[in-house]
Amino acid sequence: MHELQLLGQGAIALTHQPMALLLAVFGVMLGIIIGALPGLTATMGVAILLPFTFGMDPVTGLLMINGVFFGGVYGGSITAILLKIPGTPAAAATAMDGYELTKKGLAGIALGTATCSSFLGGTISIIVLIFLSPILASFALEFSASETFALAVFGLSIIASISGKSPIKGLISGFVGLLVATVGLDPLGGFPRFTGGFTELYSVPFIPVMIGLFAATEAFVQMEEPGVRKAVSMALGRVLPPWATYKKMLPTVGRSTALGIAIGIIPGAGADIAAFVAYNEAKRFSKTPENYGKGELTAVAACESGANGCTGGALLTMLTLGVPGDAVTAVMLGALTLQGLQPGPLLFKEHSDLVFTLFSGMLFCYVTMLILGFSSLHFIGKVLTMPKAVLTPLILALCIVGTYALNNSVFDIGIMLTAGIVGYLMQKWDFPAPPIVLALIMGPMAEANFRRALSLSDGSYDFLWTRPITVAFLTVAFLSLMLPVWRAWKERRAAA
Amino acid sequence: MLTRRRFLESIALGSAAAGLGTLPAFAEDYPTKGIELVVSYGAGGGTDLVARAFADQAKKHLPQAIGVVNKTGGSGAIGFSDVMIARPDGYKIGMGTVELTMLPHMGLARFTIDDFTPICRLNAEPAAITVKDDAPWKTIEEFLDYAKANPGKVRIGNSGTGAIWHIAMAALATKLGTEFNHIPYEGANPAVTALLGGHIEAVGVSPPEVSSQVLAGKLRMLAVVGDKRAKGFDNVPTLKEKGIDLSVYTWRGIVVPKKVPQPIVDILRKAAKATADEPGFKEALEKMNLTWAYADGPEFRKQMEHDNAFFKETMTRLGIAK
Repeated sequence: MHELQLLGQGAIALTHQPMALLLAVFGVMLGIIIGALPGLTATMGVAILLPFTFGMDPVTGLLMINGVFFGGVYGGSITAILLKIPGTPAAAATAMDGYELTKKGLAGIALGTATCSSFLGGTISIIVLIFLSPILASFALEFSASETFALAVFGLSIIASISGKSPIKGLISGFVGLLVATVGLDPLGGFPRFTGGFTELYSVPFIPVMIGLFAATEAFVQMEEPGVRKAVSMALGRVLPPWATYKKMLPTVGRSTALGIAIGIIPGAGADIAAFVAYNEAKRFSKTPENYGKGELTAVAACESGANGCTGGALLTMLTLGVPGDAVTAVMLGALTLQGLQPGPLLFKEHSDLVFTLFSGMLFCYVTMLILGFSSLHFIGKVLTMPKAVLTPLILALCIVGTYALNNSVFDIGIMLTAGIVGYLMQKWDFPAPPIVLALIMGPMAEANFRRALSLSDGSYDFLWTRPITVAFLTVAFLSLMLPVWRAWKERRAAA
Repeated sequence: MLTRRRFLESIALGSAAAGLGTLPAFAEDYPTKGIELVVSYGAGGGTDLVARAFADQAKKHLPQAIGVVNKTGGSGAIGFSDVMIARPDGYKIGMGTVELTMLPHMGLARFTIDDFTPICRLNAEPAAITVKDDAPWKTIEEFLDYAKANPGKVRIGNSGTGAIWHIAMAALATKLGTEFNHIPYEGANPAVTALLGGHIEAVGVSPPEVSSQVLAGKLRMLAVVGDKRAKGFDNVPTLKEKGIDLSVYTWRGIVVPKKVPQPIVDILRKAAKATADEPGFKEALEKMNLTWAYADGPEFRKQMEHDNAFFKETMTRLGIAK
């Protein structure tokens, strides 16, 4: 085990750099805060810290940035579970069941499960990154436009499993989401579509819509209930999930992590997609799929391990090939270049000692995240004991500030509030919101890559059935959509 | 933390502008408060990094600090428009990029280059033609001969339809009298990834965007579409050397709204020149793999006018212009 030896040396080298460790802890802490706040994403956190790393040595600077990356992916789950504010797009998947658990008074266990699963997903993905990089790297390059299109179609098929009570209403929500996703600059032609002359609408305002649909909607719902002095829920109580409970979730965590790593490796696909796919697969394998959407602890574990599993996968592609696996690693690519390290095939050859010091530092970051997470959960959980009359306006204020911070744009605040009102009406009429978010993530990806694949093939549709990965994804997507229909048909036959 | 500071800063700037707006600005005192530098693209990208390096070094040459504010969206049009409509007192300046000369022709912006006064150019990168290491073409001649013999066959990745590298390659096709199959990606990076995977034949992006892969031997740069050879790739010829008169550059520099009084423009030009000459600034660009290309206002204006005419003509011919 040559890698193990190098990793050991890296860890020893790291213990001689207390400043690097200290800044890694700082990075994780900052990442958790950035992730937890709506509008501030891990990508932004990394980009903002980037200039500060100019003056640092490579290990210190890169570890701090990694800390923000890891903490940011995890931090999104905290506000998603406690307040239904998805701090990051990936946390929108966590919010579906996480917030239901909070309403049942199980916020503590939900947060604890999210923390453990984030830690496991992240750590396993880093271990895969350390030992299997060369083998898995070529997988990323297999992905051309047609494969990415098929992945997005598969992602869209998840709508069937996150629709809640009524699949028809779920599909309607999904189609509305797809329609909204067509607003903006045409992905291939570059001309504006349905923008009504607003320059601000040139790109689909995805994050404001998401914050509006989840957090603002919830705030509006809270406002109509009397009893403003009452707290939202009780204090957290137990945060560490009982081992017997968690043990049952381990297969799901393992599967979700593997999915997360694979999706992370694929260029252009990130933690948001991983979280939704992990949710879908956990539900598919579950013996009690009817509990999903009503507060299923396993769903939280699946989303968080999937999203955090993505980190190692995305880093793998970025470090070994020099191409970014997702938006965060695209910025990190710049960070490495600034340090005089050219990510790519030569990095491991020329700087192997430094790379393995970084790897051991990444593992350290995840351990830090676990400790920081558990030691702060009780404190963060106090937010639930606030009177509603204080908390609800605070949530709305947070939504507004977070949305503004995204692009320094007041226009986005209007979009967020509009989405909040639409979301409120949707909730009144039982239309689920998650399919809209999913359609906004997957729709543009499916459209751009379908048309790009057609350009690449010079107009031929052959890519739909001649490329194995494409065919596999499209088949799974078809089955995902058909499975509920088939089940219903079988039930009806059994009844008759 | 920083975001919060930036947020507070922008509030402070906003209220200061509202309060002091009625007072006449005395150019000789300029600047008496912080200057806002609007970047039309996201934090962490190339344009943002140049802006931040510039703001950092400018401290030594201006009595007040420059704060970078990212106003993204609309392919850059939002940030540029924000600069165009800013109060012409020199307290809101912008990071101008080549897109200033492109977006107006596509009907994506209400401004034209005449709405801005150029202060200086800081950085410029040419286009380059890069293929995979196992491609059959060893030299640019072989590649161009193949392209001429097989119109529409060669798939060239670019950073988006109507974006700079698309126009560059489309102009090359016209010069050669052939056609390429242009494949747009969401930026240069995904295009390079597709080339690495062998899904396209070539990319037309700038040397820094392919340099790590070229140095690692995964990709081969055949030619630079510029006036001179690229730094670090001295063995790669320019198209001009091969008798094709084409050079397309992307550039970044400082611009201000056109009505900013001349004395303020002069103060900014002087400070910008001193800042660009700072070793720290040059070093920061070099670290980012970017080429230092300072040019003073008047020279910068000539380039803007040249590019504006070039893009108008090329985009109209391609049917992208509105």
